[in-house]
Amino acid sequence: MQEFLLILKGDGMNHLSPDELQNVLSDYQEWASALGDRYLAGQRLQESGSLFTTKESAVLTDGPFLESKEIIAGFFWIEAANLEEANQIARSSPHLGLYQIEVRPIAFPKMK
Amino acid sequence: MESHHPLVERLFRQEYGKLISILTGIFGPSQLELVEDIVQETLIAALDHWSFNKVPDKPTAWLVQVAKRKALNELKRNQMIQQHHAKMVWDEKATSQELRLNHEIEDSQLRMIFTCCSPLLSTESQITLTLKTLCGLGSKEIAKALLTSESNINKRLYRAKETIREHRVEFHIPSGADLEKRLKTVALSLYLLFNEGYNSSTQDETIRKDLCLEAIRLTQLLVKHFKQQPSLSALLAMMCLHSARFDARLDDHGAIILFENQDRSLWNGELIKLGMFHLKNSIGGSELTSYHIEANIAALHCSAPDFEHTDWPTLYRQYELLYQLKPNPILLLNLAIINSRIHGLESSLTELEKLYEYKVLKEYHLLPATQAMFYMELKDYSNAIPYFEKALALSPSPKERERLTLKLNACQKQLPLS
Repeated sequence: MQEFLLILKGDGMNHLSPDELQNVLSDYQEWASALGDRYLAGQRLQESGSLFTTKESAVLTDGPFLESKEIIAGFFWIEAANLEEANQIARSSPHLGLYQIEVRPIAFPKMK
Repeated sequence: MESHHPLVERLFRQEYGKLISILTGIFGPSQLELVEDIVQETLIAALDHWSFNKVPDKPTAWLVQVAKRKALNELKRNQMIQQHHAKMVWDEKATSQELRLNHEIEDSQLRMIFTCCSPLLSTESQITLTLKTLCGLGSKEIAKALLTSESNINKRLYRAKETIREHRVEFHIPSGADLEKRLKTVALSLYLLFNEGYNSSTQDETIRKDLCLEAIRLTQLLVKHFKQQPSLSALLAMMCLHSARFDARLDDHGAIILFENQDRSLWNGELIKLGMFHLKNSIGGSELTSYHIEANIAALHCSAPDFEHTDWPTLYRQYELLYQLKPNPILLLNLAIINSRIHGLESSLTELEKLYEYKVLKEYHLLPATQAMFYMELKDYSNAIPYFEKALALSPSPKERERLTLKLNACQKQLPLS
């Protein structure tokens, strides 16, 4: 087993109507329950925060600092047999289409 | 992993309207944009949380609590806490007490209705803003319902919010002398919202029904609060009695009295009962409004045991009264049709021919359709056919087209082949 971070980018859900959001919910629930124990953690991130680029740079607070499609909206930390399975999980996610999803293996897998 | 119960249909939409109202109470109507952002975030948070955890037993309380926390963070962040709107107390306990929470929700929704229906906004903007904030429809959905473009709706919403900000529209329930006037504006806006749904030419039935039900829901809220307003009860009665016949799908602009074979089993008994109840409550005011008469007309249709036993003379008088209050030529068509049941088809046909002098009626398919049906009833098929053709050329709804075509074919079969 290997661990992966699925990084979601964009502001896809900000423009959905309440009805549309509710429709996503049932797909989301299905996806979450199919993930089962392979789901380790996940968080959504606020759009504003701080961005430092150099030691001297001033703190930018009131983000968003990037183009909306590049904003990291949140992440899922999952477990999968290999990259292929992690990709498959990303592809079946109801977030795809609303967000871009970057699948990145965690570089140093835990020793078990 | 928890198993999931399917959520109540349209839960998000209803909750959206509640949250917008409550947060507008905290930030004030001038901050509607910010309020919308926070509510959107709250719903997305719910989506995240409820997907991996059990949906809470009291979703409303959960959502209100999350939204209020976000609001508090925002207030702190912008040091808005000193502003007078923020004096609306932050009270987390309130969300745990259902009764208080319900009261808070209803109270803010009432205030929101008056804010959306501010006389400073055009009726069009009032309806659009109501649909967006109180009913939780998205711009795309509103555009579809009101038969316009999404960018039009967005522009309209933007301007409405600007007006609210510039004129510092208040978030309160008017009282005293102001109340009557403001209630009239609100009632008219809800009446038109209802009509958008009931008489719209949008083919999307779900959206049409939604508009009707939302108008009923908001009017109910008003009736519950303002018990001494007979015209509101009349408005609600009219909405219920019309909606009761929604599935039979014929409007009151002639169609209902023209097509006698309307399927009465499709009428909704519950809504008829509710409508009659509110109609009773609407009696006793000093003023006879057009809502009263429209409700009466709808009630006469609903209470007739069948088409033949409709109380035509009473119906005729009601339509006459309505025409005095609202001189809409379409009502003359109704009067002519009803007259055929009282004084016979021939006398009515003479009246109908005169109605072409009204521009609205000249382009209205039900006028020639009525003439065609009457000629057909008189077995005068060669006169009926051209009127059926004329009606079909004036773009009737698909359902009516179907009926008219059937009748036209039946007439043609009666004629000897030439």
